[in-house]
Amino acid sequence: MSDAAAFLARIAGDDRAALQSLYKLQSVRLFGVAMAILRDRDAASDAVHDGFVNIARRAAQYDPERGAAEAWLGSVVRHAALDIARRRGREMPTDDATLGDMPVEADQLEAIAASEDGAKLRECLAGLAEKNRHGIVLAFVHGLSHPQIAAKLDLPLGTVKAWIRRGLLSLKECMA
Amino acid sequence: MTPASETPEERDARAAEYVLGTLGARESDAMRAEVLRDAELAAGVAAWERRLAPLQALAAEEAPPPGLWARIAQTLEPAAPAARKWRFPWPAYGLGASALAAGLAAFMVLRPAPSAPLMTVLLSSQDQPAWLVESARGEIRLAALNPRGVEAGRVMQLWALPQGATAPTSLGLVPEGGRFSVTPRTIRPEPGMLIEITLEPPGGSPTGRPTGPILFIGRLNAARSS
Repeated sequence: MSDAAAFLARIAGDDRAALQSLYKLQSVRLFGVAMAILRDRDAASDAVHDGFVNIARRAAQYDPERGAAEAWLGSVVRHAALDIARRRGREMPTDDATLGDMPVEADQLEAIAASEDGAKLRECLAGLAEKNRHGIVLAFVHGLSHPQIAAKLDLPLGTVKAWIRRGLLSLKECMA
Repeated sequence: MTPASETPEERDARAAEYVLGTLGARESDAMRAEVLRDAELAAGVAAWERRLAPLQALAAEEAPPPGLWARIAQTLEPAAPAARKWRFPWPAYGLGASALAAGLAAFMVLRPAPSAPLMTVLLSSQDQPAWLVESARGEIRLAALNPRGVEAGRVMQLWALPQGATAPTSLGLVPEGGRFSVTPRTIRPEPGMLIEITLEPPGGSPTGRPTGPILFIGRLNAARSS
């Protein structure tokens, strides 16, 4: 059991010290996850705040059988950040012109492959067309909406939606 | 919303896009309401969370501001221990309330500005939109989207369950015609609050808790959709 999973088990028993330990262990990573989506330290703080409140209240629902504790924590904070991005109104093209302009480089794919599950995902992502892979990363990592991805990749909205859907389907088949 | 004609493949694609983050506010709210009731959909979402989770590693680490932990602790402190040990309390949810569905509830988010207008669409058990619920300045307004009667000798009762609460609060009986406003005194409408309508005996639930089946359900969220 990872440290994070052990802390979650204690947090489920209302152990506030364990929550603080988990915060010390994970907040730098989780704040990064929120910043990649919100690109604003105040908004990212809100997302991590909301995420940790959820983690405190729902730690008992984490099931180690269903994946790593770190992945679960990241997911809770990611969805908190996405909700803030949606409230902020993200259907406009992003104002950060340089965001995500870099294609997904080999060393980034290495970072994905650090975990066992990640190795397979990296292999399957590598099999996608570049723009397809790029669209999935822009959505997942940077929280871009379909219209923002379409503007960023200079593709029609309908094309982007269809590509991403197809790309996800390919990933699922590849990872099965 | 879930069209009745949605194929299993389309459903799974919707689960994938929920996890990817490309669904709009309304669609993702609907998805969160659905996974609470649908263990198969919940399993689909969990599988996508697991597949895509390694992408989290692409976000660059960054130290949060120094006061953030204190703010989190401050938010959690006023809560009584009982409230923190929140479990999904309604027996009618038992059908979908496997550990799976419960686990998915973890992806839902609490809180933002309390004064912002809120809304949700209550869905039927077939995921058909049935009621529009809007809330501003503490008032909750209900309007039927497809006015329909209820079986003879039964009434519909409106309930709210704030996040962290252990039991729902009655907001009153839904009148014929389906238009209804209430300003609850004991609870404050807030994002994440579940709103639902149950079928009850004439005069409403005799116990103060829902006794009949849940007919419609939705979760309040900020009205400005993305």
